[in-house]
Amino acid sequence: MLSGKFRSALVIGGQGIRARKLRTFLSMVSLFLGVLAVVAVQAGAEIAERAMLTDVELQSGKDGTVMGYVPGEKGAPGIVESTMKGRTDAVAMIGSRAIIGEPGVRPINEGGMPFEYAGRGGDYSGPMVFCDANGTCTEQKPQEKKPDGQAIEVSMVALTGDIRPFKPFRPVSGTWLEFGTAPSLAPRIVLNEEAAKGLRQYRVPGEMMIDGATHHVSPQILGVVQDGYSQPRIYMRLDELRTWMPAAAATTEVDRFRGGGTQLELYMEPGSDELQQLLKAKLAGAGIPQDQMHFQVVKSKERMESELRIMRLIFLGMAFLVLLIGVAGILNVGLATVGERVEEFALRRAVGMSRLLLAGIVLAETLLTGLLTAALAIGAGAAGLQVALMMFGSRFPSLQGTAFPWEAGVAGVIAGLVAGVLGGLIPAIRAARIPIATVMRA
Amino acid sequence: MTQSFDQPTVQVQAPLLQLNGITKILKGQGEPRTILSGVDFTVHPGQSVAILGRSGSGKSTLLSLIGLFDRADEGQYFLHGNDITKLPERRAAALRSAEFGFVFQRFFLLKHLTAAQNVAMALVNGQGWSARRKRKQQVMEALEQVGIAHLAKSKPTRLSGGEQQRVAIARALVRQPRIILADEPTGALDTETGNLVVEVLLNTTRQGCGLVLVTHDHDHARKMGRVMELRDGRFN
Repeated sequence: MLSGKFRSALVIGGQGIRARKLRTFLSMVSLFLGVLAVVAVQAGAEIAERAMLTDVELQSGKDGTVMGYVPGEKGAPGIVESTMKGRTDAVAMIGSRAIIGEPGVRPINEGGMPFEYAGRGGDYSGPMVFCDANGTCTEQKPQEKKPDGQAIEVSMVALTGDIRPFKPFRPVSGTWLEFGTAPSLAPRIVLNEEAAKGLRQYRVPGEMMIDGATHHVSPQILGVVQDGYSQPRIYMRLDELRTWMPAAAATTEVDRFRGGGTQLELYMEPGSDELQQLLKAKLAGAGIPQDQMHFQVVKSKERMESELRIMRLIFLGMAFLVLLIGVAGILNVGLATVGERVEEFALRRAVGMSRLLLAGIVLAETLLTGLLTAALAIGAGAAGLQVALMMFGSRFPSLQGTAFPWEAGVAGVIAGLVAGVLGGLIPAIRAARIPIATVMRA
Repeated sequence: MTQSFDQPTVQVQAPLLQLNGITKILKGQGEPRTILSGVDFTVHPGQSVAILGRSGSGKSTLLSLIGLFDRADEGQYFLHGNDITKLPERRAAALRSAEFGFVFQRFFLLKHLTAAQNVAMALVNGQGWSARRKRKQQVMEALEQVGIAHLAKSKPTRLSGGEQQRVAIARALVRQPRIILADEPTGALDTETGNLVVEVLLNTTRQGCGLVLVTHDHDHARKMGRVMELRDGRFN
């Protein structure tokens, strides 16, 4: 139940606003820009953070995901594969390399580099020196030079399950891998945008050679996704890969030195300690040293927030300055209004209103003005965002489906309230100090 | 101090208000100036008192002190026998609402409100809360009491001076006060309208209300039960 004082303040505050519509409107104009600035900065920061986070999550995984790296040697791929098989709370990615196109030729983007840099790396065919962990260096024989041909080199990622709960790949076209069906003899693959660009640009034959596989395969392309990588990559089911490569090739130190060989990345839901312990025990049993198994929790948001904090503070500071101009507007109009309403305020006190309530009424008027302005600014901000998304959303895939962040709405309401209090406080104090005796004498 | 003798036998009752040795000194720039000096003043229920005096004699200051707009520098103030000399502002506001009705020379009506809303102002003052219907009933009764219920929806700019003052009197009466304080209520009105207003004010005393009328008009003063004249801050 609202108290008599509060009701009186609202009734009289509302009457005051209605009686001075033009003044209220003028107060709102300057304040509107200030609150809109706060709303825009807050909304922009939230949207930027979400967009950046989405991009980072594509590569690093969703916040809170437990990510593991295991060397692809000493039977580790087999252990990981058998442990992860059929699980929905964890997925393993086994990475290798593949060449799509003419067999026995040098790929257009040798080394799996982005096509933008294809052919710019020069042609180094001299000897390579490899040094092991003990510091013993040996010269490696240069690889046999192959003729140039119509083929592209891609990173190939074989999956034990659907990776998208951990890495939210954005579909571009076609479909994603289906893990609930029987494996296909012709491996089904999904390309990332760079790989799709290579295929589109160079029109290579549909034949694929996988590092370590015994035969060439003819893949079926299911679709294209945006995965956040600039290098060409393809994704396929591990069980379909196994048809052509029964066991992962052992990774030698030279392979690792060249960036090749088999690498294992594991993604697990938060709280999967038991699975982690099981894997560590199995891998340790297979002879993989503990210090070569790395598990960590993905903390993308924390990293993003610290990067965005300074930028957000700078912009909020600027918005606050604009808000201050709005506050000055309210204060100015408020003081002028109190000057005009001296008799009204003295009369209200004469008929029994306390100083505190009188101050409350002046504050209620500026607070109502601030809140009304905040509501308009938030509405304008939300509408502006929708218009911006309609106009520019297609250029920024990470912004698709973006909604007006509630944090910006809260910031707008707070800004409106703060402006109302700051702009109304001095007029309220002045109103409360009006001497009745002086004003009311004949 | 002058006193008329045609008063009803009200002196036997306890005084509504009693001021003993009230002194008010105006402090500000320059030398302090004594406005009221040791004033004694009493009003009983149903009694009407006129205060006469030249400009600057302290009439309005006395009314301000009685109405709790201001505080005396010396002396004591009793309301219904209770010492309210050093009443805190919050309680003073509550007493202004409950005990006093004020009528001023310049009406002080708010132009953006109707006559009824102006009267209701005294009910929407943070001192309790009554439902809209009850407020409306109280407002209409007060307007009827001063004979202008038919003008309830009119704004002050459409009312004559006499009608405006009657709205102001209705505002003073709506909370059924025990004491009406009127500061030159006829000062801005013609003689005929002034007489009408004084009649309306005198009517309130017949219902037991005390009336203190500050005026320059001796004709109006003579209609009151008691006439007092202030000179240089003292009653003659």
